[in-house]
Amino acid sequence: MTSASLIGANDAEWMTRIRSAAADRLADTPMPSEREEIWRYLDLGFDPAFDTAPTEAGSAGGADVLLDAWCGAVVDVVDGFVIGDHATVATAAEGEQKDVGDDLFSVAFDALSPGALLVDGALLGQPVFVDVQSTSDATTFPGVHVDVPKGADASVVVRMRSLTDAPAVVVPRITADVGDNARLSLTVIQDWNYQTRALGRAVIDVGRDAGLVLSEVGLGARLGRLHLDVNYRGDGSWGKIYGAYFGEEDQTLDYRYFMNHIGTNTRSDMFLKGAVEDEATSVFTGMIRIEETGRRTEAFQTNRNLVLSDGASAQSVPNLEILNNDVQCGHGSSVGPLDEDQKYYLMSRGLSSDTADRLQVRGFFAEALAEIPQTELEPHLRERILSKFLTAQEEGRL
Amino acid sequence: MSNALEVTNLTASIDDLEILRGVDLTVPFGEVHAVMGPNGSGKSTLCHALMGKDDYTVAGSARVDGTEILDMSIDERARAGLFEAFQYPTEIAGVTLDELTAAMAEANPADNGFTTRQEQTSELLGMGRFRDRFVNVGLSGGEKKRSEMYLMGVANPKIAILDEIDSGLDIDAVKQVAGMVEAMRSPDLGVLVITHYSRILRYMSVDKVHVMVKGRIVKSGGPEIAEELEGGGYAALQKQVASSK
Repeated sequence: MTSASLIGANDAEWMTRIRSAAADRLADTPMPSEREEIWRYLDLGFDPAFDTAPTEAGSAGGADVLLDAWCGAVVDVVDGFVIGDHATVATAAEGEQKDVGDDLFSVAFDALSPGALLVDGALLGQPVFVDVQSTSDATTFPGVHVDVPKGADASVVVRMRSLTDAPAVVVPRITADVGDNARLSLTVIQDWNYQTRALGRAVIDVGRDAGLVLSEVGLGARLGRLHLDVNYRGDGSWGKIYGAYFGEEDQTLDYRYFMNHIGTNTRSDMFLKGAVEDEATSVFTGMIRIEETGRRTEAFQTNRNLVLSDGASAQSVPNLEILNNDVQCGHGSSVGPLDEDQKYYLMSRGLSSDTADRLQVRGFFAEALAEIPQTELEPHLRERILSKFLTAQEEGRL
Repeated sequence: MSNALEVTNLTASIDDLEILRGVDLTVPFGEVHAVMGPNGSGKSTLCHALMGKDDYTVAGSARVDGTEILDMSIDERARAGLFEAFQYPTEIAGVTLDELTAAMAEANPADNGFTTRQEQTSELLGMGRFRDRFVNVGLSGGEKKRSEMYLMGVANPKIAILDEIDSGLDIDAVKQVAGMVEAMRSPDLGVLVITHYSRILRYMSVDKVHVMVKGRIVKSGGPEIAEELEGGGYAALQKQVASSK
């Protein structure tokens, strides 16, 4: 690491205005209730401890296998603060604020975040790895805004990790604008420690004939949530959304994905694969919403879940809301154990029961992991997922 | 000297339904036998009961090269020398054929000839372009059977049971599969071809044919039995067997 300078909080006038307005609302905003559909299945009986939000960043962590494998720029965001060279890193500007909703965590982000990292033309000449880190048990609000100029092809990884075992609350926010004819390959790696609750929010607008490839790999967190809206505003815009997640212990991995088709001739395809064992829970609710203007939309969603222990559970809820007839939609979802026929076939080739299971799990995730555009990361992510399964096997939890 | 496969009084049932009612069958090393029978006679159950599929309650005896296998797990049976070529080979998305054979090699660390045999069989069956594809995914019926024959060559079994290896294939593919079985003939291997139709037997030399009806072998003899069946069908044979009792 070179000596990095701390940008600190963005104190622009407009930012201060947003902050103080949100701070006024914060006191009156209740904790969400799991009676609300979008928070259903979650245990929200915890103290978000907003008063612990830090005023400066802790020390950034060192390299690891992912960073070692990475060829491109790296920017640290530590405890919500952007660390780096002023010349290439700037916090997001006024016009880039998006409507993320008014739930408690969104309001708290507006009130307490130091300001988001802006990843734009200056940085995007090369692939960018944003290393979001938490250094203590403080509640933090890291933000990343990606602005892909017209016609550009951008590759961004946002990896989120804990540098300690402390039970933190983190409220990450990722927003992006994909300009006309541009393309964004965005990979989010959620690797918080198992004590941390992460209430993630992402909103992405896709322009005319522009494309988004978004992959999320869910590894860590006690509660790892990602509430995603992709707005296909431009005619001919498209998105491919992939996911691979593996929950163990008492983890809850929670995905609320909304594909909002506004332009004509737009396409989206969600493909998520998850596994849970031990006492873990996963939730996927995928909403394909096609506006009246969304003529000739094609939208599909697939969510497959392996439930590997009796104490684990997976919820998979596909939804469609279609306001235009001239569309093609489809969805598939499944929740169940490893396939018995596959196991029989593999064992009949001389593979032990454990080896057959490992190969099946590897195959199960391969389809989703193979789609991660930053291919140098894929072997390490696959290894992390498989090592979780291996540990569960060795400890007899399956 | 022991036989490749020796089945004695094998019974198999699902819940209370008895499907195999005492099967006796011997396949010596170096020979190719066929089991023929009408739908529902228990041919596929014979395969699965020998391979050890969970669904069945099995009793009796089955020996591979003299070793009793019925108390073994599925993978132990495979490693003892039993190979089943599946009627409907299972698709395993995300796992390539090379990854599968690598795992097979790992499961048999003492098998020094594995790699050589794999390359030879691959060459023989022209498997090159299939090996980095997912197991059985997107393959035609004939390609799936070819892949099964490849795995048989790689596994180097003592007894190979080919379950309806000709089903769903056009005549050219049937000839090809029959040719592969012929090519793999060896003094160290017994082969049991399970088939509904005599068609495939026209393209390979069979030492013995066994006819299975209602969970029993009711007739065994030379390849001419297949031709008889071709003429009169299973109904005539069932009548003949019934009247001889």
